[in-house]
Amino acid sequence: MNLAVLRSTMRVQIKQSFARPMFRFCLIANPILNTILLYEMYRSSGQENFMAYVVLGAGLMGLWGCICFSSAGDINRERYSGTLALIFAAPASFPGIILGKIIGNTLISLLTLGISLVTAVALYQIPLRLESPFYFLLALLAAVLAFVVISSVIACLLTLSRKTELYMNCIEIPINLLCGFVFPVSVLPGAVQALSRGLSPTYAVELLRMSVWGVEDPGAFWQKLGVMMGLTALYAVLSALLYRRIDRRVRIAATLEVA
Amino acid sequence: MEAVIEVKDLKRTYITRRGFLKKEKRMVQAVDGISFSVQRGEIFGLLGQNGAGKTTTIKMLTTLLAPTAGSCKVLGCETFGQERQIRTRINFIFGGEMGVYRRLSARDNLRYFSNLYLIPRREQDERIERILKLVDLADRADDLAETYSKGMIQRLQIARGLINDPEILFMDEPTVGLDPVGARMLRDIIHRLKEQGKTVLLTTHNLAEVEELCDRLIIINKGKVVAGGTPAEIKGGAQSLEDAYVKLIEGVSA
Repeated sequence: MNLAVLRSTMRVQIKQSFARPMFRFCLIANPILNTILLYEMYRSSGQENFMAYVVLGAGLMGLWGCICFSSAGDINRERYSGTLALIFAAPASFPGIILGKIIGNTLISLLTLGISLVTAVALYQIPLRLESPFYFLLALLAAVLAFVVISSVIACLLTLSRKTELYMNCIEIPINLLCGFVFPVSVLPGAVQALSRGLSPTYAVELLRMSVWGVEDPGAFWQKLGVMMGLTALYAVLSALLYRRIDRRVRIAATLEVA
Repeated sequence: MEAVIEVKDLKRTYITRRGFLKKEKRMVQAVDGISFSVQRGEIFGLLGQNGAGKTTTIKMLTTLLAPTAGSCKVLGCETFGQERQIRTRINFIFGGEMGVYRRLSARDNLRYFSNLYLIPRREQDERIERILKLVDLADRADDLAETYSKGMIQRLQIARGLINDPEILFMDEPTVGLDPVGARMLRDIIHRLKEQGKTVLLTTHNLAEVEELCDRLIIINKGKVVAGGTPAEIKGGAQSLEDAYVKLIEGVSA
């Protein structure tokens, strides 16, 4: 992996994403509106720590929305602007370029968490508690890693198809629900929970929530983190295998460009 | 002379599926067994009607598309399977307004592609400046590409295609949308590339351009080669290359 390629791709991606009005809407307006919506829903729920579901929930929904419509949507944008073929045929590794795009997007998309926090404080003056800041930082890093790797798998699959827009719309809400961004996964039916347990962001969200409430059992935190890292490693291997396969497949199926 | 492009009995079929419940499979034979070779330092033309298979051929040569059958070698390596050995040494320009990042400036576009072509940082500034001057974009180098005219975007594409100093440059209808001054500039660049010993393979519908630039050419129709040789050989007894071309195409299509 060439670091100059990774760095320059991240820089280009952040510049390009921020220049798009739709991305700015997802990044700024979405978390504000989601925070208002979730606060109104949770106001009478008896929950006292609004950070756990309102701020984190709105921020994570915004984060995932940005990732979906940027990391995934970018494949389509590159395809329609004729640059997907150019980056694919460049000597730099294609997976490295896609990774740079995803990291750039994910980093800029983290702003949604801050915007959600500021909205909650500014509009509702609600007491927000973060009981274990160290564990929160750790969980946040783990969440970034989980989102980057899962986005990499998705972006890879989307390179194979020209129906990118359809798929990226299809994955946004289900991930919000399955990974428990705004409610605990335990409220879902058993069979659906099994699906949630196969998704690394589910653990990332739980780790974030644990650290907001306060980590009383560090062993449980580390165990969950271990499961999440294991799943992430599995995704990374899957992603590497997929990229090797798509390198041939896209050239056979001719999906790099618009017909 | 060394052959840097060798194509033998090359075929490419596109398969599309239509329908929701009952999928209907449709096959289109875009390239149907063409053969040709290009020598180092040559300017080689690929002519044909729209849909004749020119772009598909260029895509296979530039490692973007897998051949269905036959052999497609560039610089001695198969374009499908040995693409890594080829990609640093070639580049390509597709006509039209695609292929640049419109929300970046020309300079940022070129810097980014310099990185993707693994050009050392210390060489980038000098190279980018030189190429911007060559394509006459130095004055607007820091403006966003989305503010450029069609011709300027085309020139930025040309600049991008030259960024890695390629041994072989593939150009698919590079003068489409260019004004006469821009088209002349491109022809001058191609002449200069030839003087430097570079190889250029280009497709175009402008037959005057072919006569001025190409050492040799082939004409393809419906995926097959219908004629090949120097512009003078193809012209034969006809009054112009255009007359000879029309006669050949009509003769095959009749």
